[in-house]
Amino acid sequence: MDKKDKKYTNGEITVFWKPAKCIHATTCYRELIEVFNPRKRPWVNMDGASTEEIIRVVRLCPTQALSFQYNKDIETEKPREENNAEVRVMEDGPVIITGNFVIYDTDGKQISHKKMTSLCRCGNSNDLPYCDGMHRKTGFTGK
Amino acid sequence: MENESKGSSAEVRILQNGPIMIKGTFSFKDSSGKITTGEQELYLCRCGGSASKPWCDGTHNKIGVPD
Repeated sequence: MDKKDKKYTNGEITVFWKPAKCIHATTCYRELIEVFNPRKRPWVNMDGASTEEIIRVVRLCPTQALSFQYNKDIETEKPREENNAEVRVMEDGPVIITGNFVIYDTDGKQISHKKMTSLCRCGNSNDLPYCDGMHRKTGFTGK
Repeated sequence: MENESKGSSAEVRILQNGPIMIKGTFSFKDSSGKITTGEQELYLCRCGGSASKPWCDGTHNKIGVPD
């Protein structure tokens, strides 16, 4: 666990926050500002909504920056399998690849990466082939 | 194949003036949440102009993809 990682609990579940994984997709606070409010400290208020509602929004997080566990499972659950390669297409946003993968640039040269990468789908990023959030400014639609 | 014991893995290639190619054994989730798993090979639009997103439909040949 990274030193900057945080956890928040309401007694029933614990939400884990890994800032290094966040790509600021803004899904959490657009869905549930009562719980996920980046302008407040702490920015996660576990009393702001029901457990079910918090779980629903945590599951929408595209990058695993937010995750959760039931408190009753925390001591017994095995570590999650993180090695499986997973490709996810974000609505009106990038494609996110996590797990066990290798990536090559347009010259066929292997690009080094950490556990995930986020690739531009709109063609307007200033940091190609990666997403830099430009799709929000250009109004890219994935439809 | 020798690689089978390694389980799930994907090879991702950014194709010059073209799409993102992804092949291997992995799980793929589209923006509607539909998941496909197993061995697959996909070509994802990178120019933003495809008419059948997320898939590449060759539109980049007309409008180009910046590098």
